[in-house]
This record gives sequence, C-alpha cells and structure tokens, in this order.
Amino acid sequence: MPLEFARSELLTFGVELELMVLNTRDYNLARGAADILPRLAKLGLPGEVKPEITESMIEINSAVNKSYDGLRRELAQVRDAIVATAERLNLAVAGGGSHPFHRWHERRIYPTERFKRVSALYGYLAKQFTVFGQHIHVGVTSGDDAVYLTHRLAPYIPHFIALSASSPFYQGEETSFETSRLHAVSAFPLSGHMPAVDSWDEFNGFFDEMQGYGIVESMKDFYWDIRPKPEYGTIEVRICDTPLTVERAAQIAAYVQTLCAHLLRVRRTEPVAPMYRVYGYNRFQACRFGFDGNLVDPYTRGPNRLREDLLAALTRIAPDAEAMGTREALAALDKLAKTEMNDTKWLRERYAETKSLNDVVRMQSERWCTE
Amino acid sequence: MNASFLPSLPFHLSFALLFGVLLVAGMLGGELARYFRVPRIVGYVLVGFIFGPLASAMGLALLIDEARIFVELALGLVLFDLGRRMDVKWMRRDWTLAVTGMVQSAITFAAVFYTLLAFDLPTIQAGIAAAIAMTTSPAVLLLIVHDTHAEGQVTERALNIAALNGLLASIIVTILLGSTHYVARTDIEAAILHPLYLFGGSLLLGAAMAWSGRVIARAVERDREVHFTLVAGLVVAGVGLAQELKLPVILALLAFGLFSRNDERGYELLNVNLAPVGRLLYIVLFVITGASMPLPMLFAGGAAAIAYVLARFAGIMAGVLMVAPLGGLRLKQTVGLGLALLPMSSIALLLQHDIARLYPAFERDLSAVVLGAVIVMEVVGPLAVQWGLKLAGETVPEETEAPEAQRAA
Repeated sequence: MPLEFARSELLTFGVELELMVLNTRDYNLARGAADILPRLAKLGLPGEVKPEITESMIEINSAVNKSYDGLRRELAQVRDAIVATAERLNLAVAGGGSHPFHRWHERRIYPTERFKRVSALYGYLAKQFTVFGQHIHVGVTSGDDAVYLTHRLAPYIPHFIALSASSPFYQGEETSFETSRLHAVSAFPLSGHMPAVDSWDEFNGFFDEMQGYGIVESMKDFYWDIRPKPEYGTIEVRICDTPLTVERAAQIAAYVQTLCAHLLRVRRTEPVAPMYRVYGYNRFQACRFGFDGNLVDPYTRGPNRLREDLLAALTRIAPDAEAMGTREALAALDKLAKTEMNDTKWLRERYAETKSLNDVVRMQSERWCTE
Repeated sequence: MNASFLPSLPFHLSFALLFGVLLVAGMLGGELARYFRVPRIVGYVLVGFIFGPLASAMGLALLIDEARIFVELALGLVLFDLGRRMDVKWMRRDWTLAVTGMVQSAITFAAVFYTLLAFDLPTIQAGIAAAIAMTTSPAVLLLIVHDTHAEGQVTERALNIAALNGLLASIIVTILLGSTHYVARTDIEAAILHPLYLFGGSLLLGAAMAWSGRVIARAVERDREVHFTLVAGLVVAGVGLAQELKLPVILALLAFGLFSRNDERGYELLNVNLAPVGRLLYIVLFVITGASMPLPMLFAGGAAAIAYVLARFAGIMAGVLMVAPLGGLRLKQTVGLGLALLPMSSIALLLQHDIARLYPAFERDLSAVVLGAVIVMEVVGPLAVQWGLKLAGETVPEETEAPEAQRAA
C-alpha cells in the first residue's frame, strides 16, 4: 500500500511543544499528565494537548495556523490554560529541552498501548526519552514538495539547534553542550535523516522496502530530524528543543515557515549527497558550540561560523518574510543570534547565580508562565 | 587476681545498646513484613509488640520510657517534613483541598463524639478523644509514600490534609485542655492563658527556628550536604527547645516546617531530603510505639474501641467522598485519599500521653478506648495507605515485562 500524501494548504503551519510537568516543592518532574489532561479537555482550547511517553510530559499540538501572529496568540492562550490548570493541581509546567536534574529511571511510562509497546521494545531508552522537543509542521501541496523540502531544510538544521537550544544540563550535570537533548534522540535505531530519495514515488519504494522487512509499521517509527508527514500533508522539523517561552517557539516556527516559502520560490538543484556527508558534523558543531559552531558548506567547500551563516540566511529570506508577515519574528531571531542570548545561556547564568538546579527549574517555569 | 576489668553481669542495657538492638530488630521485622507483601511499618510495630512485654519482664520498662526522647526526635522530624509539604498557596488556589480536610475532620469529630456519648462517656473526654480521631499519622503516611515511591494528586493531597488535620486537632485539644482547667476550677486565667501559650509559643518557636535556618543558610555554601546538616541540627534542637519551653513538639515542629517552606522568601534554605536520617529514627519510632503499647488495652477498650474505629472510618470516608470529587478527583482517587488518611499512630499516642499527664480523669475514662483503637490502627493503617495509594495508581507499578514482549515491535 503506497502512502497517500494528504494535500494541505500551502505554507500553513503549526507546532507541537513537549512540556515538563513539575512539582512545586523541589521542581523535579512529577506525575501529572493524567490529572492535567482530562481537565484541559473540558476547556475547548484550539488544537489539542496530549500525553507523551512518560507521565511527566504533556504535548501541545497547535491548530493549523496561517500566520505567525495567529500562532503566537494561540500558543499564549493554550499556555495560560495549562498553567492555570496545573496550578490548581499544585503542579508547574516549563519549557526547556531536558529537565536539568531528574533521574530517568524514576520516570513512569504513560499507560497507553503504544507507549507500553515502545517501552517494551526500547527498554531504558524509552524512559531516557523524557526530553522535550518542539516539532514544526509546514503544509505542502504534494509529496514531491515534501521530499524536496525535507532535503533542502537539512542544511538549516544547525540554525534550528542553536536558536532553540535549552538543555545544557542533563541528569544533574553540566554537559558543556548547548543541547544535550539530541543525544537521547540519536540513540534510536531509526534516527538521523531521510535517505536521498528524489520524489514521493521513490520515497514510497523505500518505505515499502522497510515495511517489507518488518522494520517499520508507519511513518511514526522514523525518528528523523526532518520527515514528511503524509497524514497531515506536511513536513515536520523535529530537531528543536522546546524553548523556554512560547514567544521563542512561535519565532522559530516562523523561521521554518519562511524558509519553506523561500525554498519553494527559489528551487535548489544541487545534489543532496554532499550535503548529507557533512550533516552529522554540522549537527554536532551546533549541539556542542551553538552560535560559535563551525559549519562546513560542501558546495562552497568553506568553513563558516554558524552565527554568520544564520544571519546571512535571515537576510536572504527577508523578502519572503515580508510576504509571510514574519518580519518581526525574524528580527527577534536576528537579535538573538547577534547577542547570543539563547535559552541555554540564560539557564547557565541562572545556575551561576543560584548554584542550585532546583532554583534554575523554578525560574524557567516562572519564565514559561509569563513570557 | 583482680578481675574487675571483666564485665559484670547482668548487662546494663545502655541507650546505645538499646538503640542498636531496636534498630536491628526493627529492620528484621520490616524485612519479614516485606516478605509477606505487607508494609515494613507493620513489621516494626509487631517487633515492638513483642519487645514491650519482654522488656517489662526483664525489668527494662523504665528504660523504654526514657527512650521516649527518640520518639520525640523522630516525631519532630516527621512533623517538620510534613510542615514542609503543607502548601497554603495550593489551598488558596484549590478551595476543595482545605475544605476536604475541614469537612472530613468535622464529620469525623462529630461521628466519634456522638458515638462515645452513646457509650455514656463524659462530654469533655469524648471531645478530646474525638479530636484525637481527627489526626492522621504523618509518620505512617510519609514512610509508606517513601517506601512505595508514591507520587501524584492523592499522595500530595493526603499529606496536606494530614498536616491540616494535625493542626486542627492540636488546636481543639489545646482548647479542650484549657477547659479542663476551668472544669477543675483550678485557675480561670490558666484556662485561657495556657492554651494561648501552647499555641502562640509553638508558632513563635517554629518561626524563630525557620528564621535562624535562613540566617545560617545565607552564611554557608549552597551545598546539599551542608544544608542537610543544618536542617537536621535545627530539627533536633527544635525538639529540645520545645520540651524545655513546655510547648507541644507536634505544633512547634509543624510550624517550623511550614515556615521554612521556600514559598514567600528568598529560597535560601535548600529543600534537602531527610530520608537517610529519617529511616533510622522511623524504625526506632515504630518499634518503641509498638513496645509502649499496652496490648491488654485492646480488650479493655472493648466495644467502645471498636465503635471508635468504625465511626472514625465512616467519618473520614464520608467527608472525603463529599468534597474531594468537586476538586476533579476520580472515584478511585477519592477512595484512595480516604484510605490514605486512615492511619492513626504516634501523634494520637502523643496527644493521649500529654493529656493523660495533665488530666488524669482522661486516663481513667478513655485511655483504654483510644489506645485500643490505636493498637488496631497500627496494623490496619499502613495496609490501608498502601492499598489506597495503589488503588489511586500512585505507587510504582511492578514492572513485569515478559521476555517475549521485548522483541515485539
């Protein structure tokens, strides 16, 4: 059975945000998803709020949005509802890619069939997967465009990493990485990137082969950084840490949306193979060094500082930003890249100030509630 | 040859030896209980039940009485921990929480009070016994929460309500004690001043301890081990001060815990985990509680003790079922919460002890009833909590992954 690619309205977009559920005593992760979710369901919010692999996670799925402004307002509305609901249960929520000091073995698998199966299959990786990411969906009108964008967004992966990085601490330790979350993802056998297929038909051939081997059942089994999502008619960028604020989440989503508009307008034709040869290196540089990472451009063969590469891209897509109404969002990211004040830096500063990771989480939770 | 360097028989059971023996014996009892899938506490208490008569037969009863210092220290720690868990902010955000506690306390008080009146017991004594019935043993609750790694709404709510109940019960008992001065016509002024001193003094002492904790914390490194020592030291000193000042340890340490919550202030004092030192004291607490329990009271209490236990159970369940669902708790969570509030142990014992000392009439009329009920609840309570938290889905699930499940994709 070939995968049917559902058409969706071009360049509409939406996000998934995985959030931490915390107790308010020491700000460790807490079991709370099962208590928060039914209460939220009664509120008739746009989109959906869903459980994730362990009981200390909830995931916002936004509705399909056309504009940055609409997404921003929606996220703020949903955020407020979640915060108010959690407060009544004496729980807190926060953004951030990893919880700074929780112990993975203390987590409990959220009891749905799928999560139980994932846990049985992957063992401790399932509980280790208690990390918090932002996924960004952008609507495209055909499977071929989805394949095209999945490839052509790949060189921008380091930008998304540096902009969203918010997990310098992991299991109580300073990791020296801008984001430690991505290691939890890399451990899965089907992580990485899509193979170098050229069209939706070719992709279907690949999928059938993998399904034939019994390796995958559905697209959900691929944990790629970017993947086509045929059921929604979107491409899905899955590389970002959940930022510390909904503002930032909306800005990064706007960047991805604008990049897609740009790439669909200016069709790129370079071969994809060289790009994937440097993919892992560039990704590591961004995870480890953030804006200071060294990127390799296989087409110009030159090294390039991530910050300059990002600023150049923002300039390049400025006309598209005008058309998409994302100028304000990109200006904020431009400023972020220049000041280098990303969330990881903010978290490190808070730790230097307080010497207590409990206090860091408390502050990141306070920040999530208000900004 | 002078053989005075050899020990003389019989051994003198010193504090050190007593503490060590109680600890090891309690631990063994606890592990035996685990073997039968029963909470460890039941094992600790049963060891105490055996140890008590044995000790008095060997003429060691007095020593056990002196070992009460361990009990008070342990209780101080428990109450401090409970106070830290009590969250007044939460009670303001979710009105059903405090109201659940209050309604359930009120119904329990009324149920037990009228039951005892029906047994022709005097009003004030019945009132005091009913106030004691309002308390939930925080030691049992905390230890089972710790042992089962329970976590969630029921656990948090039970701990908050237990703190609230303890507070309400102490206030009522303090007031009723005041009225005993009045009834005894000893001194009208004492009838007002004594409860006021007990209550206000405890709050002040708690606040002072929390304040000094913050001051010292500011001067030292923000390090977990340093803060652990600081908190443990202050708790022990707080118990000593409360005794010296003739203040109720329960109320003073509960206030200390409550005031050292980091809500309003500058987050100076780290929220350290007291479990490592707690475990040792808890074991000794429960063994001594068991040992100091006059088992024959179980029968002396008779029908009234049984009625007391049943009325208390009905009161707690009715109160919780009435209010908790309004806070959005599901039925299993609500029943679990009711069950988690059932244990009755050291606080009840301590209140009873204090009262009996001040007011011998209580000893005569009601000790048998209250102690009989406590003896029953020492065993039933831990089981109820464990069962309740499991029913609510908050204990760690036993992970029994069959090998074949591991390959299935």
